[in-house]
Amino acid sequence: MFPQFGATADTLSKASTMVFRIGTDAHLYDDPDDVSIAPLLDSKFDSEKCEALKRLLALIAQGIDVSNYFPQVVKNVASQSLEVKKLVYLYLLHYAEKRPNEALLSINYFQKDLGDPNPLVRAWALRTMAGIRLHVIAPLVLVAVGKCARDPSVYVRKCAANALPKLHDLRQEEHALAIEEIVGKLLNDHSPAVVGAAAAAFASVCPYNLSLIRRNYRKLCEILPDVEEWGQIALIGILLRYVIASHGLVKESIMFSLQCTESSHSVKDGSDADFGQVKESTDMGGTCDYEFVNMVSRCYIEGPDEYLSRSSYANRESFQLTDEQFTSGKSNDDVKILLYSTSPLLWSNNSAVVLAAAGVHWVMAPKEDVKRIIKPLLFLLRSSNASKYVVLCNIQVFAKAMPSLFAPYYEDFFICSSESYQVKALKLEILSSIATDSSISSIFKEFQDYIRDPDRRFAADTIAAIGLCAQRLPKMAHICVDGLLALTREEFVTKDFGFGDQEAGILTHAILSIKSIIKQDPPSHEKVIIQLVRSLDSIKVPAARAMIIWMVGEYSTLGEIIPRMLNTVLKYLAWCFTSEALETKLQILNTVCKVLVGATEDVWTFKKIFSYLVELAECDLNYDVRDRVRFLKKLQSSNLVSIGQEEGTNDLPEKDLLHVVAECILGRQTRKVKAESFSYRFYLPGSLSQIVLHAAPGYEPLPKPCSLLLDDRNVPEGTSEIKKTVADYSGTDDYGTSSEGSDDESASDYDSQHSVAESSGSGRGDDSEFTSEGNDNADPLIQISDFGNASENQNGVSQSGPANLGELMSDRALESWLDEQSGSSNPGISEQSQVRISSARISLGDVGKRVKPKCYSLLDPATSGNGLKVDYSFSSEISSMSHLLVCIEVFFKNCSSETISEITLVDEDSNRALDAADKAADVNQSSLASSDNVPTLVPMESIASLEPDQTARRILHVRFHHHLLPLKLALYCDGKKLPVKLRPDIGYFVKPLPMDVEVFIDRESRLPGMFEYTRSCAFTDHIEELNKENGDSLFVKDKFLAICESLALKILSNANLCLVSIDMPVAANLDDASGLRLRFSSEILSSSIPCLITITVEGKCSDPLNLSIKVNCEETVFGLNLLNRIANFLVERTLG
Amino acid sequence: MLQCIFLLSDSGEVMLEKQLTGHRVDRSICDWFWDHVISQGDSFKSQPVIASPTHYLFQVVREGITFLACTQVEMPPLMGIEFLCRVSDVLSDYLGGLNEDVIKDNFVIVYELLDEMIDNGFPLTTEPNILREMIAPPNIVSKVLSVVTGNSSNVSDTLPGATGSCIPWRAADPKYANNEVYVDLVEEMDAVINRDGALVKCEVYGEVRVNSHLSGLPDLTLSFANPSILDDVRFHPCVRFRPWESHQILSFVPPDGEFKLMSYRVKKLKSTPIYVKPQLSSDAGKCRVNVLVGIRNDHGKTIDSITLQFQLPPCILSADLTSNTGTVNILGNKTCSWSIGRIPKDKTPSLSGTLVLESELERLHVFPTFRVGFKIMGVALSGLQIDKLDLKTAPSRLYKGFRALTRAGEFEVRS
Repeated sequence: MFPQFGATADTLSKASTMVFRIGTDAHLYDDPDDVSIAPLLDSKFDSEKCEALKRLLALIAQGIDVSNYFPQVVKNVASQSLEVKKLVYLYLLHYAEKRPNEALLSINYFQKDLGDPNPLVRAWALRTMAGIRLHVIAPLVLVAVGKCARDPSVYVRKCAANALPKLHDLRQEEHALAIEEIVGKLLNDHSPAVVGAAAAAFASVCPYNLSLIRRNYRKLCEILPDVEEWGQIALIGILLRYVIASHGLVKESIMFSLQCTESSHSVKDGSDADFGQVKESTDMGGTCDYEFVNMVSRCYIEGPDEYLSRSSYANRESFQLTDEQFTSGKSNDDVKILLYSTSPLLWSNNSAVVLAAAGVHWVMAPKEDVKRIIKPLLFLLRSSNASKYVVLCNIQVFAKAMPSLFAPYYEDFFICSSESYQVKALKLEILSSIATDSSISSIFKEFQDYIRDPDRRFAADTIAAIGLCAQRLPKMAHICVDGLLALTREEFVTKDFGFGDQEAGILTHAILSIKSIIKQDPPSHEKVIIQLVRSLDSIKVPAARAMIIWMVGEYSTLGEIIPRMLNTVLKYLAWCFTSEALETKLQILNTVCKVLVGATEDVWTFKKIFSYLVELAECDLNYDVRDRVRFLKKLQSSNLVSIGQEEGTNDLPEKDLLHVVAECILGRQTRKVKAESFSYRFYLPGSLSQIVLHAAPGYEPLPKPCSLLLDDRNVPEGTSEIKKTVADYSGTDDYGTSSEGSDDESASDYDSQHSVAESSGSGRGDDSEFTSEGNDNADPLIQISDFGNASENQNGVSQSGPANLGELMSDRALESWLDEQSGSSNPGISEQSQVRISSARISLGDVGKRVKPKCYSLLDPATSGNGLKVDYSFSSEISSMSHLLVCIEVFFKNCSSETISEITLVDEDSNRALDAADKAADVNQSSLASSDNVPTLVPMESIASLEPDQTARRILHVRFHHHLLPLKLALYCDGKKLPVKLRPDIGYFVKPLPMDVEVFIDRESRLPGMFEYTRSCAFTDHIEELNKENGDSLFVKDKFLAICESLALKILSNANLCLVSIDMPVAANLDDASGLRLRFSSEILSSSIPCLITITVEGKCSDPLNLSIKVNCEETVFGLNLLNRIANFLVERTLG
Repeated sequence: MLQCIFLLSDSGEVMLEKQLTGHRVDRSICDWFWDHVISQGDSFKSQPVIASPTHYLFQVVREGITFLACTQVEMPPLMGIEFLCRVSDVLSDYLGGLNEDVIKDNFVIVYELLDEMIDNGFPLTTEPNILREMIAPPNIVSKVLSVVTGNSSNVSDTLPGATGSCIPWRAADPKYANNEVYVDLVEEMDAVINRDGALVKCEVYGEVRVNSHLSGLPDLTLSFANPSILDDVRFHPCVRFRPWESHQILSFVPPDGEFKLMSYRVKKLKSTPIYVKPQLSSDAGKCRVNVLVGIRNDHGKTIDSITLQFQLPPCILSADLTSNTGTVNILGNKTCSWSIGRIPKDKTPSLSGTLVLESELERLHVFPTFRVGFKIMGVALSGLQIDKLDLKTAPSRLYKGFRALTRAGEFEVRS
């Protein structure tokens, strides 16, 4: 492949190494298959087995497939020789996935080895067994890892930690929890070596489970300096994420500066463009480039893809960091200890550790401490060439964000001739961004040396860097331009020698730099332009010529002298037009036109030149030139006419449109463009993504500040937090006056007779009473009226309110909607429908009324013995007393023929007797006010007596201790005690949380990954509905609506949710319901954590539908259980 | 998480592959790699992180061997690179240098080493001392033994005790008859002299190398007379951070054998021990070269093995260079190398001659950079001085030795 290398290597090494090859495995590598391997494997001598295995290994090394020996090799796993074992393991790991069945044969031996007294054997066995990666043996491996995690040997425990990611890779859900548990245990290990490996396992197994870190955060920080270097890298990253998630960013840090600019930004909204420049030019002392830092820090937190995509919609502000998301680095101990324990790592011998520690300081450290990272970072540049490049990539971002940090160390970025081109280019870029007025002169001196470097590509880059420096430091502009001009006059660039490209590149870059410097302040560089124009004759490179010609056109009206030169210059250009290159030709045409537009004198000469050029160009060989000239001619013709008119009569001020266009295109000076277009992408320092500049798979931005929730944070401490919130609640609000405005009446006094009646009205029991109150809705399908408000008041279900009522729907649905609504005279509709411009969203107004919660039996007349029947259903009401309580409606019915008296329900454990009812009021008060535990069951008003066939209804406020486990209650009647069980329904452990779709989607996007759970199930309820409709031809209902309706009804009857929106299917096919999407929102009663539910329908309208249910909720366990519950009741057939 | 490591020879051959995770990497990635090396040349070869269509590649090139590691997921790139550097260090330590043959000859050891060094793509044991205990390095004795008996195992059958201790770098309880510690200051001087002859940058990068043969668990402290001149430092994991932070004292339990205790940097030095004055004047298609080398004698030690290297500019047709001392060679890739050795007492070494430029060229517009090499024994040019070395748990007799050495690092003179 490379003869020049091959030849030297061969001759040199052959002779010299012959001697040394004796006794090595050389012959095995050279001719691995010169003997038959199979019999050797079956040999009874370990040495022969070894040789065979080595031969196999040699074949593997050379890329030859030797998996056919697998069965014979596996047999040797039983060998007592460690060397044979090791070689077998090497072979086994290479092929296990290819030959899973045979690999299984070895499992027994591994299990035996796991009990070996030699820790090395145990560790090897575990490593290999986990490395085999077969799903079938995953449970065995899990047990083995669990056992080894308790092994006395540190090394074995370390290998157990390393085995966890292997297990996790198999993606077996049922083991996830067990794996996380082991990770937690190993993180708590007392040996630093194990903690390091456990940190690496944590990062790949459960990076979001930061609660594991919380438990021993301090200990981890303290142990960090002793952890092995590789583990340090992983652990630093985890600790950083944890601190940000739990405490937020640090106020004094660089990342905070975005906050202060935020406000100033909103003030000087318009002057956005110069804002950046002002800052940039004044960042000499201590300050930094705020806009840049702002963007960097946002990219860190949100990930650049998300950030940039949002910024294109011009609503960058939507992501606001509030003050609470910042913490003070000086007072927060967790932040301090992290910085304290990472700062010595800046002296580590391992460059990856240094960079990781520097990253923590960059993000978290107070501004004045950030400089601590500079020297270590610069010292890294002295390590290997490969890491130099990576470190420079990171320094580049730091230096751009805060040039003052690196400005004093500019000498470290001076370039050595031995460095690779990439390193040189990076150094140049850093130099040009950290140059200051004081350092610029020595930097320029360096640059002058670089221009003479034999690497011409690098020399060209240097020239570009000079241009950048001059733009940053306007004071230096004149010197730069003079230097660059001198360069353009040098012989080597102007003469065309054949080694073309490189020298041409230098000239082009020089002119480009001059051009960009001039652009900043044209009047002061008038002479430069003149000099450049005069050198046109000697400059041969087309790109450079084109640029100079462009400048002629651009600055044709500038100053005194240039306009006078134009005559000659244009003649010269016209004269050499035919011999020019394409880009120059195009530029000449443009320039002449521009001059013509702006010209005040000599117009006729210019016109003549133009028409001469037009004639030339129209016959040009290149179609681009021909097209361009045709276009310009057309534009100019009108212009010429108008000029003529002006000259002649001067009384036709009215210019025609074409002329205006010509003005716009050719006449205007180009506007100042913002110096830097901020479209860079930034990834966390030290990450792979930062080097390759795209998000590598698995890249995660920093967690949202303070996203680790407060009460989530306090789980181990028990319920103190809950108690506190209860206390707050009772302190600020009398329990009687609920803050929930809409439920005011129903919630206010739960024990008054009135409220009972009303809630029974709102209740799921009797619709009839209710519908009479509402409008006469012949078709209850889509209801867009203020009736929605009415129903909302009574019925928490549709609390989403009018916001989602008038949203539009698919064409068909729209028509039917128009038909139906024409009758009803509701002024609100038209307004709403005008306001809401939504592509395909529908809403169901009145489903709430038809919601029928499920009734469960608490006591059967048969079992109770005295004919008392007790049913209960969960109410959508929200308990006004405590957010831990769930409201339950209980229906008592006397099925016997005798009167039953003194019926009451109490908590089984409670000692309070029958007369609890009297105490109810003060019990409530005392229990809540004293911030005591909320009672399991707020004592209910007892029923004095129940006549035969009479029914009574009570509302119970119950506190379930667990959302799945039933609650044991005691029912007293006639003095008898009957034990009953109240089964919780997780669907009612939430309360509706009204929000609009945008909010919903936004929140949903913030709960990705482990906060998102999906399941799918089938749904058939609608079929019946559709069939019913088919028979009834009076209404031709939209099938989609029917599905939506039945689906929504089903869900709302089983859970206390708020319907946010319904998206119509995207498919045009009328029978295809795929894409129909319902969104429900709610928040968990006890913790007020939002819980978002999305149901997506797939399948044909008339067939059983396939639903995929998605729950986004921070409380993982709750979310999963809720998801299961929803899936279960959706599958259930509705009875009746 | 690294997925695979390839060892490639300079001729493009895959000498070894070691798959690390369940996601196997096909060898074709190496073909892709070589295709790009051929089409893009050296600039590709010097890129440490490469995004190929399927994998991210980290490459480290040592002595003509390319260490290529692949990953598909986000991981700290320096971790990959640093690990590959460690692998190459360990291998060259084991095999006594790196080249194609020596790797092929000892492929079994390479496999065994790799298997111990990395597990599931995450580094496992990288401490050379422990690896040595787990896998015996090849030596003459074992080689002879294997020839004679046909049987020798280089895999140790016990777990090194150090893996479990809290000082994983030190083998447990070695015993020595003579307790000795040698401390070497090895410094490299980096300097840039610009074409006006001014010293742009002059700094020293130094290492404190310790070779310790001490019984038991020795606890050493090393202090410098003038630690304030150190600009920045990096430590071996054995060094305790806090004593350094408070008193600039190195307190450590050394690994057994030779290791790099710390590396340091001293910046802004005022002078170089050697001066090089190149003069190039070109006219009428010819360029006269004249280079003078001399000593600024202020430290009293002799300067050894002085060399001068430079790349002839590409626009040169032929060169005729001669020197009054030492030998001048022009190598195939237009590198001119002048080895002087020691500077004679009676004359100043000079190199002179003419370069013939390409036909159209009147005068030279690109100028070579001269790279200087030298070695001075017995002097640490940074001026760093070791104050004392103490052993806390003093054994009966301890022999201490100190040495110093300065070499040229990136010593460049522009013309």
